[in-house]
Amino acid sequence: MAEFSWDVRSPLDRALVVGPYGSTGDAGVSLTEIRNFDLIQVMARRGKAAETAKAAKARFGVAAPETPKAVGTTDATLIWSGPDQFLVLSKGGKHTIEALAPVFAGSASLSDQSHARALISISGAKARMALAKLSSIDLHPDVFPVGAAAATSMDHTSVTLWRGRDRAEAVFSLLVFATFAESLWNTTLDAAAEYGVAIAHAADLG
Amino acid sequence: MRIVCPFCGERELGEYTYLGDAKPQRPAADAGEDAVYDYVYLRDNIAGVMSEHWYHGGGCRAWLKVTRNTLTHEISAVEPTAGAGAAKVGV
Amino acid sequence: MVGSAQTHRLTSGGLIDRSTPLSFRFDGKTFTGFQGDTLASALVANGVKLVGRSFKYHRPRGILTAGSEEPNALVELRSGARREPNTKATTAELYEGLEAASQNRWPSLSFDVMAINQLFAPIFVAGFYYKTFMWPAKFWEAIYEPAIRRAAGLGRAASVPDPDHYDKAWAHCDVVIAGSGPAGLTAALAAGRSGARVILCEEDFVLGGRLLADGGMIDGLPAAEWIARTRGELAAMPDVRIMTRTTLFGVYDGGTYGAIERVNDHLPVPPEHQVRQRLWRIVAKRCLVAAGSIERPIVFAGNDTPGVMMASAMRSYISRYAATPAGRIALFTNNEDGWRTVETAIAAGLQVAAVIDARPDVSPAHRSLASKGGFPVLNGSVSAVDGGKNGVRKIAVSLTGGARAEVEADGLAVSGGWNPAVGLTSYHRGRPKWRDDIAAFVPDGAPPGMVAAGAANGAFGLGACLREGFEAGAAAAQDAGRSGNIGSMPVADDEAFSLTPLWHVAGKGKAFVDQQHDVTASDVELAQREGFQSVEHLKRYTTLGMATDQGKTSNVAGLAIMAAVTGKSIPETGTTIYRPPYVPVAIGAFAGHHRDENFHATRLTPSHHWAAEQGAVFVDTGLWKRAQWYPRAGETDWLQSVTREVKAVRGGVGFCDVSTLGKIDVHGPDAGAFLDRVYINSFSSLAVGKARYGLMLREDGIVYDDGTTSRLAEDHYFLTTTTAKAGPVMQHLEFCRQVLLPELDVQLTSVSDQWAQFSIAGPKTRDLLKEIVDPAEDLSNEGFPFMGAREVKLSGGIKARLFRISFSGEMAFEISVPARYGEALVRNLMIAGKPFGVTPYGTEALGVMRIEKGHVAGPELNGTTTAADLGLGKMMSTKKDFIGRVMAGREALTAPNRQVVVGIKPTDKARRLRSGAHIIPKGEVPGPDNDQGYVTSVCFSPVLDQWIGLSLVERGRERIGEIVRAHDPLRGEEYDVELCNSVFYDPEGGRQRG
Repeated sequence: MAEFSWDVRSPLDRALVVGPYGSTGDAGVSLTEIRNFDLIQVMARRGKAAETAKAAKARFGVAAPETPKAVGTTDATLIWSGPDQFLVLSKGGKHTIEALAPVFAGSASLSDQSHARALISISGAKARMALAKLSSIDLHPDVFPVGAAAATSMDHTSVTLWRGRDRAEAVFSLLVFATFAESLWNTTLDAAAEYGVAIAHAADLG
Repeated sequence: MRIVCPFCGERELGEYTYLGDAKPQRPAADAGEDAVYDYVYLRDNIAGVMSEHWYHGGGCRAWLKVTRNTLTHEISAVEPTAGAGAAKVGV
Repeated sequence: MVGSAQTHRLTSGGLIDRSTPLSFRFDGKTFTGFQGDTLASALVANGVKLVGRSFKYHRPRGILTAGSEEPNALVELRSGARREPNTKATTAELYEGLEAASQNRWPSLSFDVMAINQLFAPIFVAGFYYKTFMWPAKFWEAIYEPAIRRAAGLGRAASVPDPDHYDKAWAHCDVVIAGSGPAGLTAALAAGRSGARVILCEEDFVLGGRLLADGGMIDGLPAAEWIARTRGELAAMPDVRIMTRTTLFGVYDGGTYGAIERVNDHLPVPPEHQVRQRLWRIVAKRCLVAAGSIERPIVFAGNDTPGVMMASAMRSYISRYAATPAGRIALFTNNEDGWRTVETAIAAGLQVAAVIDARPDVSPAHRSLASKGGFPVLNGSVSAVDGGKNGVRKIAVSLTGGARAEVEADGLAVSGGWNPAVGLTSYHRGRPKWRDDIAAFVPDGAPPGMVAAGAANGAFGLGACLREGFEAGAAAAQDAGRSGNIGSMPVADDEAFSLTPLWHVAGKGKAFVDQQHDVTASDVELAQREGFQSVEHLKRYTTLGMATDQGKTSNVAGLAIMAAVTGKSIPETGTTIYRPPYVPVAIGAFAGHHRDENFHATRLTPSHHWAAEQGAVFVDTGLWKRAQWYPRAGETDWLQSVTREVKAVRGGVGFCDVSTLGKIDVHGPDAGAFLDRVYINSFSSLAVGKARYGLMLREDGIVYDDGTTSRLAEDHYFLTTTTAKAGPVMQHLEFCRQVLLPELDVQLTSVSDQWAQFSIAGPKTRDLLKEIVDPAEDLSNEGFPFMGAREVKLSGGIKARLFRISFSGEMAFEISVPARYGEALVRNLMIAGKPFGVTPYGTEALGVMRIEKGHVAGPELNGTTTAADLGLGKMMSTKKDFIGRVMAGREALTAPNRQVVVGIKPTDKARRLRSGAHIIPKGEVPGPDNDQGYVTSVCFSPVLDQWIGLSLVERGRERIGEIVRAHDPLRGEEYDVELCNSVFYDPEGGRQRG
């Protein structure tokens, strides 16, 4: 029997070139792809929203978001993705679909989205300027504070956008469908090029 | 045009898809051909306030009932449809 | 050639930077100007009066205004790929190396052959298109149109793609303000101090509006100092964004505004990575229109002579740019404001020849100014201008009482009063209302959330502008929920205002209403005589106001003249409907990033980059790039490659990326019941571990989509859709879930991007799979029967899903792995399949094999066919309700003579088939009466070694064996084809089950 290797390959594997892009000088925008994560969609069954919330609270120690928000726990981020549904983003196999199935048995339906998205972190002094070219929603700090989330569209492509904890400056996280990822990546580079871009990828959710 | 999604907040038109009049109810299985014919084909073309189905496909994927004035585009109400989210409906 | 060296520049003053001279070229001559000039002001400073030829008559034209309302001074800016036609010299910022050329003249601006059109003027009257070129019809395209296009027209667009980039962005605020004159600035101050988020748009490159030319004292400071102070205060507010070079051009529903920012139009080439222009969509709770007002001309004979200029424009050139349009000026005014030009001219040391004031009651102050200045004040009107391409020479005046006078001057300033800029406030069909006291239309019926302030609202005094702006800014901020301390209001005195309406002075010679479109007063009168009296008819018949300036200087005069000749009042005559954009916006700006390869978002399959490495040829399928075939060395055309791929599958094994199919997780206790309602066949009866082909109808009974759905658990189905319908089916299913069947407990999630899915097909499929699937998995016919579906482990421990389904008719499996393993899988399939000659195949081979098997696809599921038409009528369950059930039973959808799917093959085996050909009975004449259907899909069948096809043909299945005609008028072909069974290959289906 032949030897097979099962390398995982991010949908941005080819398009992402680590280093500077666009205008030279201090990069106004940092784009970092976070690779290899678990992402589980949790959708409450009819009449089971409260039960689902309870199960989430028991599992994660925090209430799952009921409005467009992202909630960080010690080892996962719960991101609102629609009415009575949220995404569980985690690393290291702690909250895989197999691990969560018993938690939500009978209360919610789970769908594995771990490979269905690419995750891009956007920060920098000009991050909002670049995002204004991609996103129609208002990202002013008063309107989109830390912990805000949105199920929205960029370039006619559905995305999930949220603002996690600041790291010196605002950090926006973007989940985009994997087959659209390269296209939206190129569009994002185009939008950010004038501000100078620092491109990287990382394994940690940060 | 901008529509205030009851789940997501105010969003631009591009995130939504229009379907049409939200008034007609799908007839029961035994309603007969005439009733289904009416449901499928006989739609009012209202110049004024109308209740419409819109899909927030570029956002939370909820189907919404939007009350809109077709002359001015003024939107006076937006509510979720009965089965949006995990609402328990009927028995 | 070097032009004169700023002979018409004052030695001091103006808002130009004399330390930064800029060299530029106009019609090949080199000139210099200064930083802070527009092209128009630099031309004025160089004594250039003639800048263009008019649209129809090729009359010499000069510069009429100093702003975006300019009808005459239109140039081709830049050259080559960046050439931009019809650019207003009055708004084009001067930059080093600017190149511009005049338009609509040949061979040169001063000697224009087409000026002969003036002699034929009678044929160019209103409606001349409709009258002159009526007959004979065939002459239109061949003779008239090319001749008109050469003779009449504006600038030439570049003939190669625009090399520059454009983009689009969103902005959000509480208050957006259009215009930064006194009202705009105080509005921004009040709103900004309240704590509101403010966007201040100014189309000029500096703030100030009319203050830049007219000055004044505000809060005890000269205007320039007050602007600088205000700008500083605004710039220090973090939530106030000042956007110069930005025109608010449109108003859209829900408080959305369009604005165009000319980011780098003031540079010859945008800096690297920067855009030329950016289109803004601004979402604002409130909008303040402080766009000012536009001075209007008076229509008189020769009013288009170079050197005739709006009085306010003349002030702008003298005060703001320190450039003198003339040495000896006359003023023709009907209002107080025009006199400011005389004051400005005197202060600049220019001669004043005379003031022609239509009002009988000129103020004592002005009379004393005249007597001090030694020039006459003539009560009357200008009846004609004597001059030509070199400018004004003499001005004929009809004095009140009938006497005549003549004034010698080389420049004539004209002021007919001011029209508030009512465009933005009228874009939602708001009709401006007439105000007698200022003889002008003012905004009325503005879109929700929008108000006008200052001159745009008919408040012409400086003090009033400051006050209205400040109050409107404070109110808008308050409406947006901001209540900070607005501080004190800037104050200034109001000027006196008096005006006697005067629109048109009768006289001999052409008197222009719309200078850009060459519409004269007599054209308006002719339109009235011919019955085109409604302003909307007047506009279309004469083309008044339809040029790129949208009639900013002509509309009101045109309808005033119409009112006069019809004996109606101006408000009775009314205005035409105003529509955006307020200024022309480049198509490139609307497209933004979305051009060329970025025209739309692109989706790539998990094996895309591997396929590209293999040299695959890709085809656009919706948003997807799909591998169409994989050419190999030595293959000279696509058919060779496709035929090889089909043979490789039928004889061995091949694989194809089918990840583009829509994939939906259907979860929940009622998932089976839900699918029973959306499919025509039953899915609640499907056993776990099995797959079933399903067909969905629209509610009107026509087929919507098809695909295979598998039951992976009691409460979990995995549904697939066609590639094309993935999005629409998801939307449809959500509609069923949320609206039609909300009582069912079911959850839907798209997993299209989660799974990389490949079809592996051919008699050696199982041999290949055994190499890659964990040996413990039973792939035998018993262990994994046809239509089986379950999770398996692959060698190496990866989990995959296997579906024993076949589109090709061969022994086949579809395998799916989580998408990030997709490329590894495809590489491993190549390794595992090497001993069996595994061959990747593309969508063409996929299509060939499905036609050979008679499987229907997009061309047959074309929105006109029923399940029965497709030969799938028996799938329709009679035991349950489903979407489309009742309407599918309608008489017309069950009629025996419907066009149904049937196979065709040419009687001449060597003939190539083409889809789209019509089917007509043999011996009949082609035509609608004999049309019995059409060919939907064709391919060259490597198995049968001939072309075959599928068709929709009336009663097709009852006519197997009949010879009919395929009629293809598009390609000019007609030939015999035989109707046959649509399953050309392995009709018993033994191969896929084996």
